[in-house]
Amino acid sequence: MYLRRLVAALLAVPIAFALLSSFPVASEASIGVGVQAGPVRLGGVAHPGGSYALPPVYVVNTGTEPELVGVRIDRLSRGAGRPVPPSWVRAGPSVQLAPHGAARITLQLIVPGDAGTGDYLSDVVAYGSVRISVGQANLGVAAATKLQFHVGPGAVQGFWPAVPAPAVWAAIGLLLLAAAVLGLRRAGYQIRVERKTAGHSSTDLEEGHIEA
Amino acid sequence: MRRNALRGALALTALIGLAGCGTASASPPSAGHAASIAVSLHVVPTIRSVTVSPATAKFADCRGGTASLNTASTPTALGYPNGRCWLGRPGTAFPITITNTGIASYIYVNGSNAVPSDSGNQWSLCNPGDNATVACTSEKGILPGQDQYVVANFSPSRGPTAAGLTNTPACDTGFGSGNSCWTTYGQSQREGIGLTGPSISDDSSTSWTVTITWTPVPK
Repeated sequence: MYLRRLVAALLAVPIAFALLSSFPVASEASIGVGVQAGPVRLGGVAHPGGSYALPPVYVVNTGTEPELVGVRIDRLSRGAGRPVPPSWVRAGPSVQLAPHGAARITLQLIVPGDAGTGDYLSDVVAYGSVRISVGQANLGVAAATKLQFHVGPGAVQGFWPAVPAPAVWAAIGLLLLAAAVLGLRRAGYQIRVERKTAGHSSTDLEEGHIEA
Repeated sequence: MRRNALRGALALTALIGLAGCGTASASPPSAGHAASIAVSLHVVPTIRSVTVSPATAKFADCRGGTASLNTASTPTALGYPNGRCWLGRPGTAFPITITNTGIASYIYVNGSNAVPSDSGNQWSLCNPGDNATVACTSEKGILPGQDQYVVANFSPSRGPTAAGLTNTPACDTGFGSGNSCWTTYGQSQREGIGLTGPSISDDSSTSWTVTITWTPVPK
């Protein structure tokens, strides 16, 4: 009887400890937001009237709660350079992040036609939508990284800088294809695709004919 | 018998020697085969981040207001005009912990409008004194006027600033030395909040929410 009580008492201590330590989150809840330390920089020179894809910005939830993380443009850093009007930067949608989850948010720079030339400096500020309450005060977190680019003189050169490279290549490919088809038709060639009934070999099912 | 024991000892010594030489000598690459080793490398964090964790606390120790108008503060409710409440207590209690969980950065802090529970007229932040971002309009600029309030943070090393917070993030002088607010990875600060309410409020809500935000900012 005494032995049984002793065993029960010895087991109760580690079990109680295990149960208590399984609820640390409730007492240590925190909110946190992180952003890449390196600045967001445009590779080349921007021109008035141009639209440019900035490198996407890396954001991370450093808290213990799931969080919706978004970005905004604000001038917080010290340094030379004109502040970037927030309306010049179109950010991608906010991302839902689990604790310690990370993602990249796209940024598009749209420089108006009447933009002044020179260096620009502002910050990409990542912020969390979740706020933790103490009393009736909500506590919020954000994190900033620099946004830097240079606007050069002269309007944007045509259509190319505003369009991402894959779209340019797709457009060139379509134009070449259209030109080839037009050329063949003008030369009197016709392309006909026929489908024959079942019973033939698979190679006979689709046939292309070029007739003069 | 002795020769066998000697042979065994030599073999064991050779095995230990080979094992001690590590990967490079264990299996020399034969001609025409590439060899590689995997090494792991830890690097310092490359994010700028802040984490805020509050202890259980609430606005308390409220004082001020006018008893004859039944608008005096109660211990847990702000009174009119210009009642004052504390979250924590200067010099003794600091229920909010702010930690720099990224690379070295300045820590900025800002307040925002106080929002009533009925989503009606908000209270805007004002700053007492001469160098106000938004001047308070009561008692010659010393106290918040109608629908204005002052919120200030404090830490063990620094009491609540007279000017209070603004809507624009500014250096949190509770961090760092002097007025620098410069912090390094892992550095944390415990803080509390003091609040002075408006002379009078347009909105009759009895529950209001204020938001304080901390932001690490690059050099």
